[in-house]
Amino acid sequence: MTKNKSRLWSFFSSVELAILLLSLIAFFAVIGTLVPQREAAVELAGRMSPGLFFFLNKMQIFDLYHSIWFLLLMFLLSVNLVICSLERFPMAWRRFRLRLSPQNEDVFKNLPEENSFLTTADAPQAANIVAGLLERKFRHFKRTDESGSSFFCAEKGRFSSLGVYIVHLSILILIAGVMIGFVFGREGYVNIVEGEAINAIALRNSNQMLPLPFDVRCDKFTVEFYKGGAPKTYQSNLTFLRNNQPIFSGKLLVNHPIELEGFRFYQSSYGAAPEGKASLSILKNGKKPMAITLSPGEGFDLPGGEGQVKVLRIEENMMKMGPAVKLAVNGSKGDVAFWVFQQIDKIRQMNPGIIEQVPMFNPGIFRPYHFVLTGMEEKYYTGLQVTRDPGTPVVAAAAVLLICGLMLVLFSYARQVWIRIDQEKDKVRIRIAGRSYKNKAGLESEVQYLLAEIKDSLEKTK
Amino acid sequence: MINTAILSWVTFIFFAAFVFYLFRMILGREFWGKLATWTALAGLAAQSVALIIRWKTSYDLNMGHVPLSNFYESLIFFSWTIVLLYLLMERQLKNRSIGVFVMPVAFLIMAYASIAPGMNNRIEPLIPALQSNWLTSHVLTCFMGYAAFTVAFALGIMFFVRHAAGADSAKASVFIRLLPSEYLMDELMYSSVALGFIFLSLGIVTGSVWAHYAWGSYWGWDPKETWSLITWLTYAVMLHARGVRGWRGRRMAIMAIAGFGCVLFTYLGVNLLPSLHSYMT
Ligand code: HEM
Repeated sequence: MTKNKSRLWSFFSSVELAILLLSLIAFFAVIGTLVPQREAAVELAGRMSPGLFFFLNKMQIFDLYHSIWFLLLMFLLSVNLVICSLERFPMAWRRFRLRLSPQNEDVFKNLPEENSFLTTADAPQAANIVAGLLERKFRHFKRTDESGSSFFCAEKGRFSSLGVYIVHLSILILIAGVMIGFVFGREGYVNIVEGEAINAIALRNSNQMLPLPFDVRCDKFTVEFYKGGAPKTYQSNLTFLRNNQPIFSGKLLVNHPIELEGFRFYQSSYGAAPEGKASLSILKNGKKPMAITLSPGEGFDLPGGEGQVKVLRIEENMMKMGPAVKLAVNGSKGDVAFWVFQQIDKIRQMNPGIIEQVPMFNPGIFRPYHFVLTGMEEKYYTGLQVTRDPGTPVVAAAAVLLICGLMLVLFSYARQVWIRIDQEKDKVRIRIAGRSYKNKAGLESEVQYLLAEIKDSLEKTK
Repeated sequence: MINTAILSWVTFIFFAAFVFYLFRMILGREFWGKLATWTALAGLAAQSVALIIRWKTSYDLNMGHVPLSNFYESLIFFSWTIVLLYLLMERQLKNRSIGVFVMPVAFLIMAYASIAPGMNNRIEPLIPALQSNWLTSHVLTCFMGYAAFTVAFALGIMFFVRHAAGADSAKASVFIRLLPSEYLMDELMYSSVALGFIFLSLGIVTGSVWAHYAWGSYWGWDPKETWSLITWLTYAVMLHARGVRGWRGRRMAIMAIAGFGCVLFTYLGVNLLPSLHSYMT
């Protein structure tokens, strides 16, 4: 039993497994970019035998990033990280806590010839020079003196050895944050027509609606364009209400979402709502114009009492001939329905005789009145994406931790040096030893630099 | 426009710098090396001026934005960071041999930006989703990372050139003798990848923040996002293989070249797949 357990333990504490898992995740990610995923996979179904498609679908190949395979890899990676860190952290912690001692015989064993030299200066003077140099280069150093010898030690980058654990911890927190989003996160869409309010959203990848704890009303939607015609800004003015009392209102722009009670609203699309308004001008015998603005379904009485006019439809681009409204007049002499085009003059120019052929297109068919469409007041709907992801702050914290940890690991390094000064007959011997777990080349040049500095200072004091 | 005219000149200047670095390597005279460095520096200065003019012009045209918004601008910035990083490295190391491998990459990118068919080099207004400071930091950090990975790639190629010439340095040509030692190249490859890894991590994080504000979710498995993750994982494997398994030299060179392949695919290849990052359309 214990043997089995220790075998499992060593399996999970190996870095080979980590390399394998990271490669596997990369491999799965590649597959996911080559095979159409989610909605895009539907198209594949037609080109594949139903049996194969069914099988691949069951294997979650078409939703790899949310599949059991990916979850399994995340799980194994987490276990690997935890066990690997448990295995190594105590050592690193001990090394971190260990205070250096200036007297260390070991480091001076097998010291290369060039790391030591003899000088004629006297020992206390040399010791002062070394102390000054270490003060400048390392800030903290320790010193002991003993019967004609001086011992020094100094170090840099003590925290760098903990960087790896910070990086790995941040990966664990990241996975936790992603999982929280996976389980508790919601994503949906909703369209709101200007002036109207909604209180539920349609969830993505399901047929369900998610009720919101408040109402959302779109007061106005505006879109601005650059001169060339490319869109410049989309903006929805939203009001959030509870029990018909506004609790918040604000402008929603792309890149500036609104967050309320854990729900985040994003500007994602827009469109023209069917219920725009039409502005009409009505002339009787070509005189006395009367202006009125109406929505579909609305109506009014003709000034002379000849009948009642009703707007049946409003079209932004009727048969590619521009904006038009369909009107019905219930008159005492009978009913008539016809279209009023905004650009009727242009249409008649291009198609001579059209009004005679198609009486439905004659804006003066109900005599003695003549109808002119002077403008359309468009009404938009705004398309919002709504998400709720309680894992986001966790992921954000992990990202900050990851960057800090990486800086520690990759840009700093632990480095220790020992210097000893010994009286040898009438001369003084100075020796420098160094130790670094990484960046041996940097240590080498640091030691050479220290040697050169000490020699230089000794020269000057002569 | 004046900025694109300058930028086409920069292409030639980078090519000249490459030729001078090559002369140095073949003739073994440091004169050519100095000339190459100054030429590259002049190219970098001209390129910076062109970018600043472009930036200012976009404000004059009333759609002010940092020149990092379309494929053309990103190519220019990519080569700018490569040359900048290389010149800093050259100064630090006092070794000019890497230039002959790095400059052609910078030159090819500029050449591609200048002559590729259908390349749109106009200054264009930003659609609402791209109007974000996070996006600017995202592009900036990503390309810093890419530049560092490009240097690592150049070192990987150098490693193989030296390796193929064999260890017998007495008989080797000037070219081979001027290359840094295999040990030094390995160290430099590691440093470049470490630098690139941090910048790529920052790039992914800032990109996620942008996505969080613009698209409603910090991660959407868009092909470009996914490929940047693949690239990141590849370099993470490389760092582990080196730090823990002790891989050095040839294997690191292979990883540096493979990693750069991922970078290129993230940058260019992904545009063959549908994506939000529609630089190429
Ligand atoms: C996406 C996931 C991971 C990332 C980003 C990551 C990152 C890193 C980095 C940057 C280093 C330092 C490398 C260097 O010194 O140059 C490192 C070292 C290391 N990693 Fe990871 N790592 C990940 C996953 C793992 C996993 C799953 C394990 C599990 C065993 C692991 C085990 C180690 C070990 C043992 C070291 C060496 C520590 C040392 O130098 O003392 N890593 N990792």
